[in-house]
Amino acid sequence: MEEQIAELVAKVAELEAASGGAKVTNTMFAETFYYLTIPLMIIIHAGFLAYEMGASRLKNVLSSGVKNILAFAFMIPTFYFFGWWIYWGFPTGLTFSEGPAGISGAAYASSIALGWGDSAQYMGPNIADQASGVFFGAFALFAATTASIMSGAVIERIQTVGFIILAVVLGSFAWVVAAAWGWHADGWLVTKFGVHDFGAAGLVHAVAGFFALGVLINLGPRIGKFNADGSANHIAGHNMPLTVTGLMLIIVGFWGFLMACVIVPGEAWSWFGDKPSTIYGTPITLSALSFNILMAVAGGIIGAWLFTRDPFWMMSGALAGIISTASGLDIYYPALAFLIAFSAGIILKPCADWLERRGIDDAVGAVTVHGTIGLYGVVMLGIWGSGFPALQGAAGEVATINLMGQIIGAVVFFLLGYVPGYVVSYILKMFGMLRIREGAELAGMDLVKVPANGYPEWGTDAATTPAE
Amino acid sequence: MFPYDEASWSGVDGAMFMGWGGALPGITTFLAVVVCIAVLVIGQRSETEKAKKFDK
Repeated sequence: MEEQIAELVAKVAELEAASGGAKVTNTMFAETFYYLTIPLMIIIHAGFLAYEMGASRLKNVLSSGVKNILAFAFMIPTFYFFGWWIYWGFPTGLTFSEGPAGISGAAYASSIALGWGDSAQYMGPNIADQASGVFFGAFALFAATTASIMSGAVIERIQTVGFIILAVVLGSFAWVVAAAWGWHADGWLVTKFGVHDFGAAGLVHAVAGFFALGVLINLGPRIGKFNADGSANHIAGHNMPLTVTGLMLIIVGFWGFLMACVIVPGEAWSWFGDKPSTIYGTPITLSALSFNILMAVAGGIIGAWLFTRDPFWMMSGALAGIISTASGLDIYYPALAFLIAFSAGIILKPCADWLERRGIDDAVGAVTVHGTIGLYGVVMLGIWGSGFPALQGAAGEVATINLMGQIIGAVVFFLLGYVPGYVVSYILKMFGMLRIREGAELAGMDLVKVPANGYPEWGTDAATTPAE
Repeated sequence: MFPYDEASWSGVDGAMFMGWGGALPGITTFLAVVVCIAVLVIGQRSETEKAKKFDK
């Protein structure tokens, strides 16, 4: 009997040791999973950098790059200083109270997301916390993505410091509020209206796109963009292949972006012990993402090719394909994702032309690709995904996805982008901090901003031609 | 459009996409095939038209 008990005790000890090892392995996997999304998302910035520089004329190529690099650099510390706090503090609205999941509100945010006091233990190296840093990193990169989206729209005439202020307002405040409200288990848009935006079509892309629109209205078009009769000219960038390659890099980076939207299982902060979930606690797999992202990219490219035949719009169509399906990448059927993305690729260029005819000079089509298509994607999910529980649980216990909820979400995302973009750029304009002086714009911003030449042995810019 | 009788995630242990168990996957797959073929046909026609303009 004693021998059997001793054998049993030894087996229990062995099992405990094995279980401890599995737990360590899972924790390391979870940490590595998010850690790897960070360099993947930095590829988005490599893409935006190439895309913007290619879309700039020779005289502005380096200043466009400097602006984009600085946006990234300022986004990280400002997101550390206050953006991360906003995400955890704001979900229940302006009451800053704790939500039903118990992971929100001012008190909660102050306990985990401030860089001083007790909270600081979660904002720096800590052997007992293998999650906070990688989550912060992934979210900071989402923030930097929003700034890059706006960055392309305003090239060739914006002041550097004015742009950085706008980037900080967008990346460390506006989109973060949208994420707290619509991309958090306690977010009021989710709990009250069933808003579902798995891949951030609205809360990242639409917010950033319409923030850019607010800025563009105050910034005005580049000199030479519009003629006296109001017709538009096409201002060719200096390097279309660089722009198209940049767009392809953005697509590569979006695999990391969407991967970072998945909650891995088996950790104290996970929704499940045995299966991955979305940020809302609904099930998802990386296989689901793989099916749907690929089909969406393909659909967007094919749709854009049909009427444009232009590699710039085709690769923008790839982006539009992902964005138009991003809200429901967890639950779309791949062929349906393809068809939605195809439709987004078709409407892309006409939407951009419509905006241009209203006097908006969006140099890279960011308002359309990210703003308009982002809202299109949010609403599409309301049409196709109605009835799916928006959170972990059953219909009745939790809100379900519905068309009206998605429309309300789309309106909120539009306002969270457009209003701060317009107001802050208006204030910057009043203080003379928005647009570069005319002489400098004509001479080229590289001469003013950058002590180097992009292509010292090359000639002049391409001729300006009618847009349509 | 939830693919199970009870709209609850707790009962889902398999396919979880829109239309599972119904006609939607088949219909959308068919339409996607049609789109691909139609785009290729249109593309071929228009490219040929443009190329003809350069005939001597």
